[in-house]
Amino acid sequence: MMILNRAFRRMRSFCARVWRPRSLAARLFITGVIWSLLALVAAAFVLTSLYRQSVEAGFDERLDNHLTVLIGEVSKGLETERLANTPIALGEAQFDLPLSGWYWVIRETETKAVLLVSDSIFGETLVLPSDWGAEPDLSDPAGYIKAYGIGPDGRTLRILERDVSIDSVGFTVAVSGDFDQLQTEIDGFQASAVLTLAAFGLGLLLATYILVRIGLRPLDDIRAGLMRIRQGETEELDGQFPTEIEPLVRELNELIKSVNEVIERSRTHVGNLAHALKTPLSVITNEIRRIEADGADKIAEQAQLMRNQVQTYLDRARMAARVNTITSITDLAFVLDRLTRAMQRIYEDRGVEVSLEPCSGFKFRGEQQDLEEMLGNILDNACKYCRDEVRISVRYRPDQTRQRAFLHVYVDDNGPGLTEEQRHEAMRRGRRFDETKPGSGLGLNIVNELVELYGGSLTLSQSALGGLQVELVLPSPVID
Amino acid sequence: MRVLVVEDDPDLNRQLVEALKDADYAVDTAVDGEEGHFLGDTEPYDAVILDIGLPSMDGISVLEQWRRDGRTMPVLLLTARDRWSDKVAGIDAGADDYVAKPFHMEEILARIRALVRRSAGLASNEIEVGPVRLDTRVGRATENGSPIKLTSHEYRLLAYLMHHKGRVVSRTELVEHLYDQDFDRDSNTIEVFVGRLRKKLKSDIIQTERGLGYRISVSDDL
Repeated sequence: MMILNRAFRRMRSFCARVWRPRSLAARLFITGVIWSLLALVAAAFVLTSLYRQSVEAGFDERLDNHLTVLIGEVSKGLETERLANTPIALGEAQFDLPLSGWYWVIRETETKAVLLVSDSIFGETLVLPSDWGAEPDLSDPAGYIKAYGIGPDGRTLRILERDVSIDSVGFTVAVSGDFDQLQTEIDGFQASAVLTLAAFGLGLLLATYILVRIGLRPLDDIRAGLMRIRQGETEELDGQFPTEIEPLVRELNELIKSVNEVIERSRTHVGNLAHALKTPLSVITNEIRRIEADGADKIAEQAQLMRNQVQTYLDRARMAARVNTITSITDLAFVLDRLTRAMQRIYEDRGVEVSLEPCSGFKFRGEQQDLEEMLGNILDNACKYCRDEVRISVRYRPDQTRQRAFLHVYVDDNGPGLTEEQRHEAMRRGRRFDETKPGSGLGLNIVNELVELYGGSLTLSQSALGGLQVELVLPSPVID
Repeated sequence: MRVLVVEDDPDLNRQLVEALKDADYAVDTAVDGEEGHFLGDTEPYDAVILDIGLPSMDGISVLEQWRRDGRTMPVLLLTARDRWSDKVAGIDAGADDYVAKPFHMEEILARIRALVRRSAGLASNEIEVGPVRLDTRVGRATENGSPIKLTSHEYRLLAYLMHHKGRVVSRTELVEHLYDQDFDRDSNTIEVFVGRLRKKLKSDIIQTERGLGYRISVSDDL
C-alpha cells in the first residue's frame, strides 16, 4: 500500500513537473483520452487472445480426434502385428499431400525411432515438442503436450503429442496441423477488432470532448455572468446552475453582495466625511475673513485647498459609484420639467424665460441623478449668463444598425456667448470666465466626466439665439 | 427685516447671526428642526436660512410642513449636498434658493437680500421713494444724494417701510419684523424710532395713518 502510494505520488510529481495543462477542460479531456486509449488497447488485446484461445481449442479438438484415431490404429496394429505395413487413413486428404503441414507420426518413446509417419511428411523429419524438452501440461490428465513448432516446410504447426503405452511398450503419437491458415484468420480478426475499436475510440474521443464541454458549460456561464457584473449589466449571477455548482454560485453571489456593500459603505463614509467637513470649512473660511492677523491669508489659502480636495474626492467617489449602475432608464421629460421649474425659481428675479420643447417619451439610459447633474450644470450656466432667454430642445437619433441610439439635448441662450478660443478653453477645464457671477467654475468638469462615463459627448457652439449652444449627446434605449 | 437662521452647527450658526446682524437684520435662531419649524410657523419672517441636515427634523421636512401650512416666506436652503438632484429636490419642496457649503458669507447675504427684495416684488437692490434712496447692498440711505446717518434700528425701520412702500404697515407688524424674539416688544418704541427717523429725513415721506400704522410714500404735499 505504502509503495503504491509512493508510486502514485511520484507519478503525480512527475506529471506536475513535466506537464500540467492549465485548462480544466484539457485535463479532463486528456485524462479521458488516456483512459479510453488504455481501455481500448486492453480490449483489443483481450478480445484477440480470447478469439485465439477459442480458435486454438477448436483446432486442438480436431487434432485430438485424429490423435485418438491414430492411437486406436496403433493398438489395433499391435494386436494384428501389422503396424509396419498397414497404411493408416485418417480421412483427411491433407495428410497425403506432401508438406501440407498436416502430419502425423508414431514413434517409439524409448528410442525415438519413427515407426510410422503420414505420407505428407515426404521423407522429412517432424520435430516433436518433447524433442525440445516441452513437458506435458500437468493440468491435463491425458498427458498431452500441446505446442507450436516449425514444420519441415517452414510453416507454423500446431502439434498435439501424447505418450501411450500398449502392452508395456511406449509409443509417442503426434499429430500436427498447419496453423498459418488460422493465424491469418486470427490476424484478420485482430485487424477488424482494432479497426472497430479505433472507430469506437474516435467516438469516445468525440463523446469525451462533448462531455467536457457540456460539463464545463456552467463554468463558462459563471465566467460570462461575472463579466456582465463587471460591466455593470447585472448585479448577481442569475439562472439555473447544476446542483454541484449551485452552492459555489450562491457563495459567489453572497461575496459579490458583501463586496458591494463594503464598497457602498466606504463610499458613504467618504461622502459623509466630505460633507461633514464642509460645515467646519464654512466656519473656518468665514471666521478667517474677520481676522486681520499674520498668517490669516495662509489659513484662508489652506482652507481653500481643503475645499478643493473635498470636492475632488466627493466627485471621484460619485463617479466611482456610477460605474456599476448603468442599467437604469430615466425619463428625460420628467428631469427637464423639474430642472426648468427649479431654474425659473432660482433665476426668478433675473426674469429668465426658460422654454422647453415637448420631449415626452424620450428616455436616457442611465441614472436620474447623473442626468440631473449634467443638465443642471448646463442649464445653470445658461440661466446665469443669458440675457433673458434659455431654450431647451431634444432630438432622438438611432444609428443605422438601430443597436445604439442617442439623445441630443440642445441648450441655447441669448447671452454674450463664448469666443471659439474660450469655448476650447472651457472644455479643457472647469474655468470661470465671468468672475462677477457667483458659482465656482462652469461645472463642466463634472459634466464632462459624466458624459465620458456614459459614452456621450458635449459640444459648445454658437447659438442661433446669439449666445452659447450646448449640445449634450447621451445614450438612449432604442425606441421602436 | 427679520430673518430666521436654522443651523445646528453652533459656530456656523453664530457666524450667520453675526453677519446678518452686521447687515442690520433682526435675527432669530434655532439649532434643530423642531424648534426651527415652530419659530417659522409662529413668527413672521422676511426670510429663512434653513440647513437641510438638522437634528430631530430635517430641513426638507420642515420646509414642506411650512409650505403645506401656507407659510410663504422666502427660504434659502443651506446644505453640504451640492448635487443638482439635491438642489432640485429642495426647490421642489418649496425652497426659493439654495447655497451649498462651504460658502462665503457675502454669498448668503446677497441671496437673502435678493429673496427679501423678490418677495416684496421689487426688481432692484435700490429702492426709491421721492428723494430718499435705499441701497440694500451696502445698507445705506441717501436723500438727494447725500447720505443719511442712521442707527441700526432706524435703518431697519426705514428699510422695512421702503420694501413695502405705498402700503400701510401696522405697529405690530413693524415690531414683529424689526426685532428678534428676545426684544422687549413695546410698541411705543416704534413711535420713538419713527419720530427720530422723521427728524433725520428732510422730506416728509412717512405718514401716520391713525389707528392703522405707518406708510411710506411720496407725500401729496411735495
